[in-house]
Amino acid sequence: MTKEYETFVRDRAHVVSGREVVLTLRDLTPGRKKYRGLNVRAVVSQPPRPGEPLLWLRSVVGVREKTPCSVRIVEDLPDVFEGRPYTDFFAAMARAERR
Amino acid sequence: MATPKDLRSFLEAIEASGDLVTVTDEIDWDQELSGIGRLACERNGPAFMFTNVKDYAPDWRVTTNPIATWRRMAVALGLPADTPVRELYAVYAEREQNSIPPLLVNDAPCKEVVIPADKVDLFDLPVPMVHDGDGGRYLGTWDLVVSKDADTGWVNWGMYRFMVHNERYLTGYPRPTSHLGKMLLEGYVPSDKPMPIAIVIGADVPSHLAAAATFQLNGDEANLAGGLGERAVELVKCETSDLYVPANAEIVIEAEVLPNGIAQEGPYGEYPGYRSGEMGDALCARVTAITHRRDPIHTLDTTGFMDSSATTTSISGAIAIRRRLEKHGVPVVDVYVPPEGGVHLAIVSVSRGGAAVAKKVVEVLTARRALMSKIIVVDDDVDVFNIPQVLHAFATKCHPERGTHIHTYTGRANALTPAYSQQERAARLGASVAFDVTWPPEWPREVTPVRATLDQMYTKDVQDRVLARWKALGL
Repeated sequence: MTKEYETFVRDRAHVVSGREVVLTLRDLTPGRKKYRGLNVRAVVSQPPRPGEPLLWLRSVVGVREKTPCSVRIVEDLPDVFEGRPYTDFFAAMARAERR
Repeated sequence: MATPKDLRSFLEAIEASGDLVTVTDEIDWDQELSGIGRLACERNGPAFMFTNVKDYAPDWRVTTNPIATWRRMAVALGLPADTPVRELYAVYAEREQNSIPPLLVNDAPCKEVVIPADKVDLFDLPVPMVHDGDGGRYLGTWDLVVSKDADTGWVNWGMYRFMVHNERYLTGYPRPTSHLGKMLLEGYVPSDKPMPIAIVIGADVPSHLAAAATFQLNGDEANLAGGLGERAVELVKCETSDLYVPANAEIVIEAEVLPNGIAQEGPYGEYPGYRSGEMGDALCARVTAITHRRDPIHTLDTTGFMDSSATTTSISGAIAIRRRLEKHGVPVVDVYVPPEGGVHLAIVSVSRGGAAVAKKVVEVLTARRALMSKIIVVDDDVDVFNIPQVLHAFATKCHPERGTHIHTYTGRANALTPAYSQQERAARLGASVAFDVTWPPEWPREVTPVRATLDQMYTKDVQDRVLARWKALGL
């Protein structure tokens, strides 16, 4: 079965740009650990590339797109991003992306 | 009837009153369980106890929406389930004044199982996926989060949402303007110190009521819980910090909030009844230990329209509003926060109305935190608990131009208010409005309209005869 993830995006165009981006994915594999979060550096493709895990994009209010992308994970990142509490999470991911 | 001393005795009491349904068939933690809880909120239905949660052993149970109805709130306060709302308000207000200090104990049911940091796996807990499209699984929905001020030692209990990020990390959204947020930003972040917290699940209901209460800065919620429950709350020390938690709790998650680390939190279908896109600026905590009872009960409040926080805030919010208005010299008579209003609507009756009073009401209620966005100010011949009466007065007495008083603010708006744009949410930019539903005090009595109701447009003699006839007809 193809592995599936979802991610929440504020700037959709940036995520599906075909470049390496930093994302938090939620693992949709059924079972006790479904929705586990993982921070990654990855490349997102639309339409999905054969053999890659599917990635569902959701908006900041949780609305899911009708068709999925695919994702190729390039690197696993630490559990948390650098940033003070209440600073913008998307900005923290952008900073991690530039490193 | 005594106030139930812990979650288990409360569940027995609501089972006896017909307000708890136990489900023994397997239920999926992924939306199905919470969907049942959600429907119950929307239909004023019962609480549920699920004893067979998919993927989890039967020693874990999940209960939903403990006090999402006035009946269950009444039982939680040790009163008959059919106690009128006005009386619940009065009982709460009276008990709130009788604080009872907690007792410290060494042994506690919540310590029957102790899981140290290196063995912690948050996925071992049957944390439901509350709504499709939430950012993750929410562990903290009906909780009590303990934190301590780094400088003064003041201990705060609050009710804040927390989501499972992975095995060891949680993310949460106590608002930056909350007491916990203020402690964190002023006492820990500047010195780069992690802030210890304890997330308590399944304590006695008065403790959760106290945590959710609109209560003053530097107030002691443990004392308040004792007063509300009419008995001292027993507290036990945490394993990994010097915080104290209710000994009778079902589950305690000990953690430390990172001063310089964040992770994804939200979005989440929140108490106003919407998922509004408030994600992006939260906090992250690393779990340092989990303790729980041997056969623990996890509590879920299926957050949204008419959840447990709606009734809770209805009472504590209204009482806090009343006290605040009294302190500022507003001639307030009654306050009601209808649970259907998602903690955005308050109804205030006054003995003397007019534009100046309405303006003062909205200014006073938005001075520090602006949670109420609509305030209806009525004359005291309107029963604030009688929504048809309030609607009638609003529709007919509020002048569309002169009766609307808007107060705008920056930096303290409620980011969860669905009406705000994403930009307003980010800047905490918002507005509240007072609807003046009172007669202008300068209008002479002889030209002020008279309400066409039995109590105002009929002579006393006719009223008495009508009421006697009504009774004789068996109506």
